[in-house]
Amino acid sequence: MTDTVVAPAARITPAVEPLLRVVNVVKYFGAGVGASVKAVDGVSFDILPGETVGLVGESGCGKSTLGRLITQLIPVTSGEVYVDGVDITKLRGENLRQQRKQLQMIFQDPYASLDPRMTVGDIIAEPLVNFKMISGRAKDARVQELLRTVGLNPYFNNRYPHEFSGGQRQRIGIARALALNPKLIICDEPVSALDVSIQAQIINLLEDLQREFALTYLFIAHDLSVVRHISNRVMVMYLGKIVEVAPSEDLYTSQEHPYTRALLSSIPVPDPRIESKRRLVELSGEIPSPLNPPSGCRFHTRCPIAQVPGVCADVEPPLELKAAGHLAACHFSDQVRTKIAVTV
Amino acid sequence: MTDPILEVRNLSTHFFTDDGEVKAVRGVSFSVSPGETLGIVGESGCGKSVTAMSVLGLVQRPGKVVGGEIMFKGRDLLKFTKEELRNIRGRDIAMIFQDPLSSMNPVLRVGYQIDEAMYAHDKIPKDDVKPRGIDLLRQVRVSDAERRINDFPHQFSGGMRQRAMIAMGLSNKPDLLIADEPTTALDVTVQAQILELLRDLNEQTGAAIILITHNLGVVAGLCKRVLVMYAGEIVEEGTAEQIFERPQHPYTWSLLRSVPRIDASRGHRLLSIEGLPPDLIDLPQGCKFNPRCPFRVERCFSESPPIEQVAPAQHAACWVTMERAYAEMGAGTITDTSPGAASGVHPGGRTLPVAEVQAAIGGASGD
Repeated sequence: MTDTVVAPAARITPAVEPLLRVVNVVKYFGAGVGASVKAVDGVSFDILPGETVGLVGESGCGKSTLGRLITQLIPVTSGEVYVDGVDITKLRGENLRQQRKQLQMIFQDPYASLDPRMTVGDIIAEPLVNFKMISGRAKDARVQELLRTVGLNPYFNNRYPHEFSGGQRQRIGIARALALNPKLIICDEPVSALDVSIQAQIINLLEDLQREFALTYLFIAHDLSVVRHISNRVMVMYLGKIVEVAPSEDLYTSQEHPYTRALLSSIPVPDPRIESKRRLVELSGEIPSPLNPPSGCRFHTRCPIAQVPGVCADVEPPLELKAAGHLAACHFSDQVRTKIAVTV
Repeated sequence: MTDPILEVRNLSTHFFTDDGEVKAVRGVSFSVSPGETLGIVGESGCGKSVTAMSVLGLVQRPGKVVGGEIMFKGRDLLKFTKEELRNIRGRDIAMIFQDPLSSMNPVLRVGYQIDEAMYAHDKIPKDDVKPRGIDLLRQVRVSDAERRINDFPHQFSGGMRQRAMIAMGLSNKPDLLIADEPTTALDVTVQAQILELLRDLNEQTGAAIILITHNLGVVAGLCKRVLVMYAGEIVEEGTAEQIFERPQHPYTWSLLRSVPRIDASRGHRLLSIEGLPPDLIDLPQGCKFNPRCPFRVERCFSESPPIEQVAPAQHAACWVTMERAYAEMGAGTITDTSPGAASGVHPGGRTLPVAEVQAAIGGASGD
């Protein structure tokens, strides 16, 4: 188990209370007798009001599980999740339900996340009805207002999801998430199922809505280009742990963790001249199983600069401040940029 | 110039559904030279996969190739019998698919599946098949190939399955490898490895590659020449440098500005291409991109633009072309296509005729 780490934002601006504070959250899924999948293993961070924090990592790193833990769609194994100062992991029943109003989620698959037998109006109004916040005429007016807000025709409220395209459905999902005026929206891969020309529409919409309604986002995605575009800060996850947290401006120019550097070196850019000069940081082997993660630093089995045998295999590096607002969990972060050559 | 190994002329493939005739591919022409890497990019439904399937004769009912010629080494594949086609497929032209798991048989060992294609085509002497299978697996960088060749597909990771698929594709030393979204289901670090592998194999074996993808970055890394498809047609064709640096079709130009780039400066807004691709049953009059095009003029609504040369080796199907649009807006020449570049040239993604674009940016704003 790791030490509790205070996220950088909290240190820089202590006057602002974080909207979300995640402290040492752990999620193990049982996998037969004596075995467990260590999906999220001691994660701590803060999100300040109005911020967009990105969470990236490859499949199986635990990023979606973390999103579900924050909304308490699945219970934590241990750790705390404070929303506006209240630890929601301790709440049950009606108290949890009331607290959850502040948290909403936008899902990846716009086909699976809308009930095909409900009208769009009913889908968007469901959270309002659920919390008995509104009814009758006022409800219809609110639904139409929300449809307009997300750029859909307000008179589409009687239509069904199948009558809409993927991008339009994602707008419906966003309208539903906005219905309760939440403070924090967890976006779990909101554009990865959409076509390239539609992705920009949704990203721009999310940016506009943030400005209009002072929203705070946790933006989970595997596409680092998209995440960096929309986020103020980016957190990189590997095998259940956060390995680096950096301001988006710094991430492309300075990396403090070898995994982040490898990740950046493998993202293709639409520019043949840059691509012809690309040097890939080869990661040896495959991602280890979260059933039995490597000792010490979890990345040491694939890391190009790990000291094995030595400190990397024996001691787990803490997530600590390396530069202003920039955290990383690496024993040799000072060597990342000198010893691992890439074109970036 | 060497003769092309594949020359597709005026290919049209339609699907005859209960809702109507889906005109998935219309009048597509292109050629591939030996050893060339050609990228076909476009969004889902643009016809890029159907084009590839048509080349291999894999279009199934209700789909049908309704016109054109597919000349492979000088012979029209569309006139081939099923038997003759089967002799070409997997031997001279191989294909790898997006989802390596569903493209493999789960109850047969990986080695068996690699060897199968070699036994089927008799191109490789029987005694050489088994050692070649191991060798191929080693060539696509599966470590411990002697042992892993006896694994079942479920024992392989996603990246390894795609490597095994590539090994299968290469087994008969094909002249042309068609890769349909080969990295879409994979993580970025694995994607980068697979692309590097394809690049190396192209250099070593001399097999030409057609790479089909929606990812502009992937194309820029592997392909020397690029076709851009929209709504069943080729809208632009050129070298990778031309397509990415001096795109002439408004769709290509817009697409490049709509994708976030990891190396771009932050804070700019993405260009959003408003609206949706057209319904392939009920296509718009004139240019198929006209409902979404910010640079359209009167003529775009009535006449379909032919694909014409716009620069040496570059062709585009547009009445306006970006060079003319820039000139008319007094914005000079295209120098940078990354999102946020040349800000002020585009009126924020609104669909406006050129005259209004001009007004919106206040005439000559300079680049």
